Amino acid sequence: MPFDQLDLKRAIAGDERAMQRLWSQHAPHIDAVVRRLCGDPELAADISQEVWMQIFRALPSYRGDSQFGTWAHRIAVNRTLNALRKIRRIAKLEIEIEDDSAITENDSDRTFVAESIDQAMGKLSPGARAVFVLHDVEGYTHTEIGEELGITPGGSKSQLFKARAKLRKLLAHLVDESSTVAGKGNGHVAAL
Amino acid sequence: MSQLSEEQLDQIVAVERSRAQEPLNEWRTIAARAREEGLIRQEIGQRWSGQPWMQAAAAVLLLVGGIAIGRTTLGLPTANQTQAAAATTATSTSRPAAATQTDAPTGFNFASVDEASTALDRAVREYQTASQYLAANNISVRTRDSAAIYTARAAALDKIVNATESALQTAPHDPVINQYYLATMGARAATEQLVARPVALRGF
Repeated sequence: MPFDQLDLKRAIAGDERAMQRLWSQHAPHIDAVVRRLCGDPELAADISQEVWMQIFRALPSYRGDSQFGTWAHRIAVNRTLNALRKIRRIAKLEIEIEDDSAITENDSDRTFVAESIDQAMGKLSPGARAVFVLHDVEGYTHTEIGEELGITPGGSKSQLFKARAKLRKLLAHLVDESSTVAGKGNGHVAAL
Repeated sequence: MSQLSEEQLDQIVAVERSRAQEPLNEWRTIAARAREEGLIRQEIGQRWSGQPWMQAAAAVLLLVGGIAIGRTTLGLPTANQTQAAAATTATSTSRPAAATQTDAPTGFNFASVDEASTALDRAVREYQTASQYLAANNISVRTRDSAAIYTARAAALDKIVNATESALQTAPHDPVINQYYLATMGARAATEQLVARPVALRGF
């Protein structure tokens, strides 16, 4: 069911059913970007809650200048990046986190390729990961990424180049072991 | 060490981009947080239905609005026209008490909330009685198929709902706006029922 203006008004007025419809329609996409930026599923779930609270708080300020999904997506990216910055600041004080200590999810439902991508992205530096996710997956321009991350467009391009180079190596096994992987029944890899 | 080509990486990214993902939380988790922060309010119906004065006010508005819209759309005389006609034909001794009260000036000054509530209760009863009487005796209304009228009424009520909802954003706790909102929603629901009824069962 499309989220129409009446539902939007009702959600602003605090109508739970209208808010739930909004969440149901947009959570898959919004939560996906949060998950990709975070890497850690538990952390992503926590940040996602904050994201949705912020979306609901900000609903009265939505003027309809852009698609609701685009507007909410911006909030999700902003909120997630802010949360990650905060977490990193705290973490720096407590312990030095190694680059390759990313937590990965062991979920039998997820495909081998998806797990490989998540693991590989988890091995990127936080900045490179954010640039890669925003540019290659979410379709942001380098200028937009620069604004989000407080870096120059050139810095964004440089981070993306490094991220892609690292991912090409980290994901090489998907091709090297294509016969083995294909045996696991994953059509995507066989197509590569 | 081998590595993917740029094109192969692009293909993998495309797979990742299109991968359907479940929400990270359940709605009840999000709803609980939203409720804690006061972002989710009680159901509007629950919020107001517990207040008898609001129920009475909503009922009055519903009935008055319904009667006024119904008379207008069916080409019957309006309340003012009726009163004017009544003034010329009826004597003061033959008029029922209710009619006398409706002729009272609109600028009532009530001495207390109880007095105002009593007046509202009385008005509800009178309108209900009058509506039942009209439904039972106004043959010209019953014999007309008014599907188009009801559909037009529903469309008009939709506009009023939108307007009152906009107003509620500005003043969510304003009792007058809430009265109009509730009355309109009630009239909208009643109109929908009328539209759905078989022609023979449609009444005022």
